[in-house]
Amino acid sequence: MERRDTMSLAVVGVSHHTAPVEVRERMAFGPSEAAEALLELRSETEVREAVLLSTCNRTEVYLFSANGPHVIQAWQSLLGGKAGRLERQVGDYLFEQRGEGVVRHLFQVAAGLDSLVTGEAEIQGQVRDAYELAASMPVDPPLAGPVLNRLFQMALSVGGQVRSETSIGEGAASVASVAVQLARKIFGSLKGKRVLILGAGQTGELIVEALDREGVQGVMVANRTYERAVGLAQQVQGHAIAMERLAEALGSADIVLSSTSAPHPILTQRVFREAFPGGLRRPLLMIDIAIPRDVDPAVGHDPEVFLYNVDDLRKIVDEQVRVREGAVPEADRIIQAQSEEFRTWFASLEVVPVIRKMRGRAEDLRTLELERLLRGMDHLSDGDRERVEEFSRRLTNKLLHDPTVRLRKGMGTGGGAELVEAFRFLYGLEDHNRPSRAARRSGEGRGDAGEPAGDGESKEKMGS
Amino acid sequence: MTHLLPLLLYSGAFVLWVRLLLRGARGQASLLASGVTGVAVFVHAVALGHFWLRYGELPLVGPGAALSSLAFVGGLALVAMLPLRDVGRVAIALLPFIIIVQAVALILGIQPSPMALDFQGTGFVLHVSFAFLGYQGLALAFAAGVLYLIQHHELKEKRLGRFFHFIPPLATLDKLARVGLWGGFVALTLALAFGWAWTVENRGSLEMSDPKVIWAVLSWLVFVGVLLARAGGGRNDYRGAVAAVVGFGVVVSTYLVLRITVGATGVFL
Repeated sequence: MERRDTMSLAVVGVSHHTAPVEVRERMAFGPSEAAEALLELRSETEVREAVLLSTCNRTEVYLFSANGPHVIQAWQSLLGGKAGRLERQVGDYLFEQRGEGVVRHLFQVAAGLDSLVTGEAEIQGQVRDAYELAASMPVDPPLAGPVLNRLFQMALSVGGQVRSETSIGEGAASVASVAVQLARKIFGSLKGKRVLILGAGQTGELIVEALDREGVQGVMVANRTYERAVGLAQQVQGHAIAMERLAEALGSADIVLSSTSAPHPILTQRVFREAFPGGLRRPLLMIDIAIPRDVDPAVGHDPEVFLYNVDDLRKIVDEQVRVREGAVPEADRIIQAQSEEFRTWFASLEVVPVIRKMRGRAEDLRTLELERLLRGMDHLSDGDRERVEEFSRRLTNKLLHDPTVRLRKGMGTGGGAELVEAFRFLYGLEDHNRPSRAARRSGEGRGDAGEPAGDGESKEKMGS
Repeated sequence: MTHLLPLLLYSGAFVLWVRLLLRGARGQASLLASGVTGVAVFVHAVALGHFWLRYGELPLVGPGAALSSLAFVGGLALVAMLPLRDVGRVAIALLPFIIIVQAVALILGIQPSPMALDFQGTGFVLHVSFAFLGYQGLALAFAAGVLYLIQHHELKEKRLGRFFHFIPPLATLDKLARVGLWGGFVALTLALAFGWAWTVENRGSLEMSDPKVIWAVLSWLVFVGVLLARAGGGRNDYRGAVAAVVGFGVVVSTYLVLRITVGATGVFL
């Protein structure tokens, strides 16, 4: 058996921490591009396992490979080729983590702790998609092999645990999601609710998109210039209305989203009274993100009107972000515990072949000695022979039970490599064509440079 | 002891719902609160069943037994709501009423009443059962109304805190109040009809000055008032919530006044 002491689990890429959006967008991979990149990486470097995660905030590849530096170099040039000409070298934008740092990083990413907006939920799905893409690639051995498979499954579970046990995902952390949250708390389901949009703007469009995902219907768009209203209406699959019909449209709306550049309020009390001559008999959510404001604040005094301006929304977002950030230490504790669990599992990979070998050796000895014993005891009946055989089996198992359990336990609590070494020495399981630790430490171990012997188990160390 | 256990479980469930409100609705906590609520209602059903088997009469006569049954009907309504997403959280407002009613029942003593012999028959059982349903309908509308007003306040004040996250949407609460009010109104109307028929059949005529009759008619009028408030023009939902809270307050305070002034003589409930 061959082991490696180098760190063979790595993550390399760009994120919002290391690269501006102009760089990140040039390094972003769509699903088909990601699939091609993974295949290229496999064919060029024979990387054992790889998963590529590409979102608007990050493009990073998770690698499990015996030949780390070579794979990382190949990935860098692949990224460089995709990004084209940049202001600085590709390497200047990259971050790299090895060993346990990779585990912790991925768990943080999946839990939304490394996101631009702490606790955002979309990343969980993106991590799942990245893993599923790698798992579905028609290559052998699979790109999402035993190590990355376990790592990503655990990351998804950690993400879920952090979200359900802490307030990391509580509340909404963008103006658009706050708008949706408010609408949900007023109307329950948004299916079939009618939205009136006044003016056009990027934030407004984001809010409409978010509301659209919730199933609102009948989007009405009004603008000072009718042609622009028609243009926006086409974008949001609504219909344009003339400003003169504003009161009529307001009368049938459940949600009003206003973002014009008008210098004076458009939705005045007069328009409101015109829209609801018998008084407002149901809740009306009004989101005014225009500066100066489009909705007369006096309109908000009606008990059924819930009026929010841009400052109100910003204040809510800030407050919710504070709540989420307050949950980070608790989330970190969960991540720490789960990282430990992964480390234990990873360490156990190395111990499995040792245990198997030890048991094989013991079984050989047992069979040999049993044969010797029974050869001179022909007078024994078949039943007695079976009892003797059963005795030998039980004795062997009992003798091996404690060392096996202790070895597994020892691997999870650190110092595992030394323990395995001692085990090999004590049970005579040394690999004779493998250099000693001392030799490898002094750099003489030429045999350490190759791929680990394939006995079907991942035996490389995660490193630290 | 049999009737104390449901009270303790209702109280435990209430503590769990409050904890959920304070710590945020996460993970298994919501399931636990719902589970304990369900267990409380089940244990309450067993306790009332035990009463029936032991004394050979339904726990409908005598203040202690009747109040315990009233609390149980509230528990049943709660259990029906628990599986509905978010709606079960109305437990935080309904459980205090159930707890208070059950506690008062225990203080008064849940025992068979000597009056049970005078109050028998299907008509009487239907009268009392529908009356309990009616009052619990109003209690449900009250609970939904209280939560509606808190949520409305949070939304108006633009505070998206614990209450905002915990309390169901306004539309859900409004629907719940509507169900409670209409269901309660129909049940109380039937209760009055069965009560009148039973009294005429067994006693010859209905004594309009009987405090029970006064309270029942007043309760029915409160229902009418609250329903009218919801149907009127403008500010429907908000006014409906206020009306449900006020209406419930009127019914409960009238009961207490009658109980203290006339009930001490033993003729009222």
